Amino acid sequence: MDGNIAILGYGLSAIGPGIGVGLIFAAYINGVARQPEARGMLQPIAFLGMAITEALAIFGIALAFVFRG
Amino acid sequence: MSIVAAAPTDYTAPGVEEFWQPLIGDGAWAITRPIFLMLLSTGLIIWWLTATTKKRALVPSRGQMGTEAVYGLVRNGVAKDLIGSHEFMKFVPLLFSMFVLILVNNLFGVIPPMSYPTMSRIGFPIALALIVWIVFHVVGMKKHGFVGYWKSLVPAGLPKGMIVPIFILELITDLFTRPVTLALRLFGNMFAGHILMALFISGGWYMLTSGGVLIVAGGVTWVFAFVMTLFELLVEFLQAYVFTLLAALYIAGAVADEH
Amino acid sequence: MQAVTVTAEGGEGGFWATAAPIIPHPLEFFFGLACFAILYFVVAKKVVPRLEQIYAERTAAIEGGMNKAEEAQAQAQAALEQYQAQLVEARAEASRIREDAKAQGAQIIAEMREHAAAEAARITETAHKQIEAERQQAVVALRNDVGRISTDLAGRIVGESLREETRQKDIVERFLAELESGDVVREKVGER
Repeated sequence: MDGNIAILGYGLSAIGPGIGVGLIFAAYINGVARQPEARGMLQPIAFLGMAITEALAIFGIALAFVFRG
Repeated sequence: MSIVAAAPTDYTAPGVEEFWQPLIGDGAWAITRPIFLMLLSTGLIIWWLTATTKKRALVPSRGQMGTEAVYGLVRNGVAKDLIGSHEFMKFVPLLFSMFVLILVNNLFGVIPPMSYPTMSRIGFPIALALIVWIVFHVVGMKKHGFVGYWKSLVPAGLPKGMIVPIFILELITDLFTRPVTLALRLFGNMFAGHILMALFISGGWYMLTSGGVLIVAGGVTWVFAFVMTLFELLVEFLQAYVFTLLAALYIAGAVADEH
Repeated sequence: MQAVTVTAEGGEGGFWATAAPIIPHPLEFFFGLACFAILYFVVAKKVVPRLEQIYAERTAAIEGGMNKAEEAQAQAQAALEQYQAQLVEARAEASRIREDAKAQGAQIIAEMREHAAAEAARITETAHKQIEAERQQAVVALRNDVGRISTDLAGRIVGESLREETRQKDIVERFLAELESGDVVREKVGER
């Protein structure tokens, strides 16, 4: 098998953010479903939360390329 | 593994090399294909925007309606909602041009003659993220003053012991995490999406041409490649939107009265 | 882990072909900045002002249309009110005219009645007068005739003509006056 262990590391680093982003949007959808008029207020919060959570996965992919060789 | 073993084993998956397509020259100052696409997209956008808004018709033509729809999305859906109706007009040109530039360059990834998402070359996302980074810092400092801006990073009413660690965390977020993730998110999505599509298509082609049972697998792969293309379309739009949204959010945070 | 191997290094592309994709290509970075700057300039100077102008004009047009509609409504309302006022006035006028006519009619009838009564009275009076006149005439005629006849008769009886005007007249006159007063005194002709 040919490949790079770094990509495995990226896979691991994507687990946490994946769950995190899922939780954020689950909460966002819940909130909007309960109170559709709060959509405008919840949207930036949801996306900001997603941006912060996703940052870890993005660091993962960056570092996977940095340490691939 | 026995099926694969039956086929010739000279298949190489598309990799980083796929993205290096110099047109003129070579090395660090080569005019590459993404540069050409970037120029093309800029020209196309400028032509489209000026052509569709030239008439200024109250009852818009189809082209003007499209431009207005995108403009309305950025102006009212992003800038006005996030920055607030006081100061948002200053940032609408920035956010709007950023959105259309990213959107068109992303869409180049699935439109056949181009078939290359410009933003998968990290130079472009870094340039845009750098602009956003400079803008939201400068705007924040203009609003709160140089010292006041850094002070506004820490929320008021924290216990004494918490101020320093929170300040350091916020400083890292503000100076490092935000711009880097902004650039890397766009780059990563485009890069990964494009490499995935290249993998599906080239792998499918390889399987189709190698014969045997693999032809069926190749067909299925190409169906998946088509599905992936549709998914890419969604991701491309979403990433342009998210980039603009986050830029607006960072600016909003900088100009907000309390951080 | 033997899997840690390096993918194709080198090759014909040189450093940039296989460089980590997170290393920015300087010229691409530069073009990213430049293209965005150009686009931003055009958008900020031309596109956004135009679109904002369209927005403002459209808002103004919609508001103007609404104003116009309101104005028209107000006008219609005013016209309706005026019409209704006119209608009320016309009704009042009509009833007034009717009252007038009624009053006038009554007056006319009264006048006519009065007139008719007066006429009737006049006619009656005229008739009375005529009758009186005729009666007078008849009386005068009768008196003459009676005088003549009675004198004739008396003359015939007496045998002499009593036709002397003055005497005859006196006698008849006196007789008739006595007749009228009711005390007829027999007297002999020629006693006076």
